[in-house]
Amino acid sequence: MKLFQNIFGKDSGIDIGAPVAGTLISITEVNDPAFSGEILGKGVAVVPSGTQICSPVDGTVSTVFPTGHAAAVTSKEGVEVLIHVGLDTVKLDGKHFTIHASEGQEVKKGDLLLEADMEQIKAEGYDITTPIVICNSDEFSEFHMAEPGAVSQGDNILSLKK
Amino acid sequence: MKEFQFTINDPVGIHARPAGLLVKKAAQFRSQITINGNGKSADAKKLIKLMGLGIKQGMEISCQIEGEDEDTACEAMLNFFKENL
Repeated sequence: MKLFQNIFGKDSGIDIGAPVAGTLISITEVNDPAFSGEILGKGVAVVPSGTQICSPVDGTVSTVFPTGHAAAVTSKEGVEVLIHVGLDTVKLDGKHFTIHASEGQEVKKGDLLLEADMEQIKAEGYDITTPIVICNSDEFSEFHMAEPGAVSQGDNILSLKK
Repeated sequence: MKEFQFTINDPVGIHARPAGLLVKKAAQFRSQITINGNGKSADAKKLIKLMGLGIKQGMEISCQIEGEDEDTACEAMLNFFKENL
């Protein structure tokens, strides 16, 4: 990553890492109008192949939902990143989710936030597609999504500029 | 300042879709709009804080509106809650 930063210099913007390994897709492909219609903000989505949901940025955990199906991290630059694991998964009311972080905790990119038993969630009929949304999108002028396709946890999925 | 109470009927509470819509509605007004509930309070224009309240079905919230357009804002917010939550 150092090399990457050196090539593009300081103006390369703020990079959001994949919170989980999987397949990167456009937010418009998400089968929930709250996300695909960008009601919650601009973003991308990952269809997870892994089960560990990690911080996409260096920053502070701003919210962990008591149900463990979503968390938000505010990056040190002030980007509010919401990770919503699966669609409609609030209805699981915590089942199949384990919380590993707490509100106010400082985290590094890659630190574990949540774990989700994806097989069980799928078995209950839920879509595990995980939108990653910038809740304060209004504060940024440019959004560049990385190439769709396979990503590892931590890979850059979205770059922002103020 | 204007204020109203509301008991949440929506089965999932103030969550993704209604929360996003609520923020958009609140942003139409100049007034400061605060949602209190579940022992916490949040700026209705800040999505993360709002969802972080963890407001579920059956909980009572209060909504406080303060500013030059508080009369219209209060009416609009109350209607929003009735229609969406």
